Amino acid sequence: MDDMTYDAIVVGSGISGGWAAKELTEHGLRTIVLEAGRPIDPAVDYVQNVRPYDLRYRGMGDRKRKDRYQPIQRNTGACDEWSSKFFVNDLENPYSFPDGKPFYWIRGRQVGGRSIMWGRCVYRWSDLDFEANAKEGFGVDWPLRYKDLAPWWSHVEKFVGVQGRKENLATLPDGEFQPPWELNAAEQRSRDILLAKFGGERLITNARLAVLTQNHDGRAACHLCGHCPRGCMTFSYFSSINSTLPAARKTGRLTLRPFSVVHSVIYDPAKKRATGVRFIDANTKQVIDVKAKVVFLCASAMESTRILLNSATAEFPTGLGNSSGELGHNLMDHIMDGGATGTLPFALDRREIGNRPDAIYVPRFRNIKTKHPNFLRGYGFEGRAERAGWDRGAGTPGFGAAFKKSLIKDLGPWEMSFGGFGEMLPRHENYVSLDPHLVDSWGIPALRVNCVYSDNEKKMQEDMVVSATEMLEALGATNIRTFKEDNPPGLVIHESGTARMGRDPKTSVLNSHNQMWDVPNVFVTDGACMPSTANQNPSITYMALTARAADYARQLLNRREL
Amino acid sequence: MRRREVVQFLGAALALPFIPRGTEAAIEFGESLHLRLGDVPFRTLNREQQALVTNIAEMIIPETDTPGATSVKVPEFIDLILTDWADDEERATFLAGLRDIDARAATMGAQRFVDLTPTRKTELLTALDAANSDKAGAGLAFARLKALTVYGYFTSKRVEQEVLHTQIVFMGYQGNVPFTPAA
Repeated sequence: MDDMTYDAIVVGSGISGGWAAKELTEHGLRTIVLEAGRPIDPAVDYVQNVRPYDLRYRGMGDRKRKDRYQPIQRNTGACDEWSSKFFVNDLENPYSFPDGKPFYWIRGRQVGGRSIMWGRCVYRWSDLDFEANAKEGFGVDWPLRYKDLAPWWSHVEKFVGVQGRKENLATLPDGEFQPPWELNAAEQRSRDILLAKFGGERLITNARLAVLTQNHDGRAACHLCGHCPRGCMTFSYFSSINSTLPAARKTGRLTLRPFSVVHSVIYDPAKKRATGVRFIDANTKQVIDVKAKVVFLCASAMESTRILLNSATAEFPTGLGNSSGELGHNLMDHIMDGGATGTLPFALDRREIGNRPDAIYVPRFRNIKTKHPNFLRGYGFEGRAERAGWDRGAGTPGFGAAFKKSLIKDLGPWEMSFGGFGEMLPRHENYVSLDPHLVDSWGIPALRVNCVYSDNEKKMQEDMVVSATEMLEALGATNIRTFKEDNPPGLVIHESGTARMGRDPKTSVLNSHNQMWDVPNVFVTDGACMPSTANQNPSITYMALTARAADYARQLLNRREL
Repeated sequence: MRRREVVQFLGAALALPFIPRGTEAAIEFGESLHLRLGDVPFRTLNREQQALVTNIAEMIIPETDTPGATSVKVPEFIDLILTDWADDEERATFLAGLRDIDARAATMGAQRFVDLTPTRKTELLTALDAANSDKAGAGLAFARLKALTVYGYFTSKRVEQEVLHTQIVFMGYQGNVPFTPAA
């Protein structure tokens, strides 16, 4: 191919790449989006209404196929019989980790990336989160504060369509909300009880979700089928395919190229700028160079860093833009799988109609007013109260006509569950590097991941069990079942860090605008940029950072500074 | 069953005598073969085991004014899971558990479970239901049978459409709707 020249290149079409594509094209830039995976056609690929009886294993999944081709991906719940096709083939996309220190890297390589299967929870940060690194001496200080990002959160929330309940919490600022779904009868009662017993410190609020409750921008309000990770024919939740890529396409300046596996960024040492990127056509294996004035890496935290590590030059022998030595380091995830479930004693005469994909949230309450003796920072709980219906059958004593009738006609009691999502501290010793031997199916050197949870995360997980149990006890719950899983990092699918932002080029890879200190026309706006993770679900923050960086790139281009 | 899966399923289940040329022709061939066979053949459970599994599944969810486990092909579903989903150890443990159920029946004066009187069958299953945390033997086999029977029954098309009347999409969410279990 000759003369593949654009104004901007965006690598990746997931949450961040979709936003980069939308913003850059709307700023007037002719933009090519390079996506490693296949195209997605909602009419064909979205399977929200496929019923269990239309699947060979009724939704139990093709276990042997997953064992063989998706031994890593299979560990996440959404990689089920409907949606496993949205997760990568692990044999084609290998990576390594040291013996005994697994890291689960859950990936989606297709147009839309993981925005198709994401959890859709969107929470802003507060300055409690932005200031934590500086106050506690972990990692580097964020070069941003709440006031810097607030307008950009507003900007993206208005386009995304976020439902939420305004709570006026200093630690979890409200956003631009559509009205939320109501709490169900058991959740509302639980909220009232916890408000009384914990004085507002532990608050059950409505989950803040990128799922529409009102029609918005040509997308329909959610129809509550409850199966978001299968795709959504009515585009009711936010994804690149449902939202940002159509907006970018509307400008007439978008070129979307699937099956384009980016190998590296091409660097011109004379100009000290990137001239473009090199990619491999996934089908023909042809190596193709594409040129542009500006490059946005949005391939996901570890993939963007992998591209930079694979872009080493004589000037940057350990990876492009790695004069700080921090590229690849400070890898984080969150920690989850600590909490409890219990049977509520009330609201047996009430039911819900409609399947909400997510229900409630308990904002962080640790290390805000008082210091917890065992760990720094904090966690929030996701949860819900629900009645199991027939699904309780296997665990319910009995059999025969009365048993059958009870499963059909009754719903079982309300079960309330709280599952924690906690902050993981940034640590230099958690890092990715290039594996010296391993390559992927396209011959591109693969990553080796060195990452473990520290004592701080493990102590936090222990506390999730304690505080979830306290809340269930306060609700009068019986049959309380605690859980604490010793899962490897990665499984929360909030991996971040490895090319952090900072105030000082000596200790960070990116400046406060996600711009590489060393290569000013390369921006990294996915999770790689994060100096810390707070405990909130991260995607809306990547969106805001991407939009902010795209605006900055526009200003620099207008001033001819790139 | 979706067209693609008909081929996939039969391709895995049977040694096809020949594959017609072209995808569409292959799909049509697969569908015609599927129709001719009628039911999915059993591939793991032998005739005695089929009779045992069918008997117990129907006792867990019997035919009443609504379909029972047998008429929505729960035993066939269990055979599919045993054949293609379970690993070798799980399958062996389950089949050993079935043998143990017959061995228990033998101590109750019948040759096999299916030969017991209805009262004695209920007596034995009640005992096994209380032993559902057993890691092997008859208790485990019954626990697995019960879980698969409930799951296979309630995920069948007929039960979803004719018994549960499952609503797929909703005009809005209601979280506080009065409910009384039907008598």
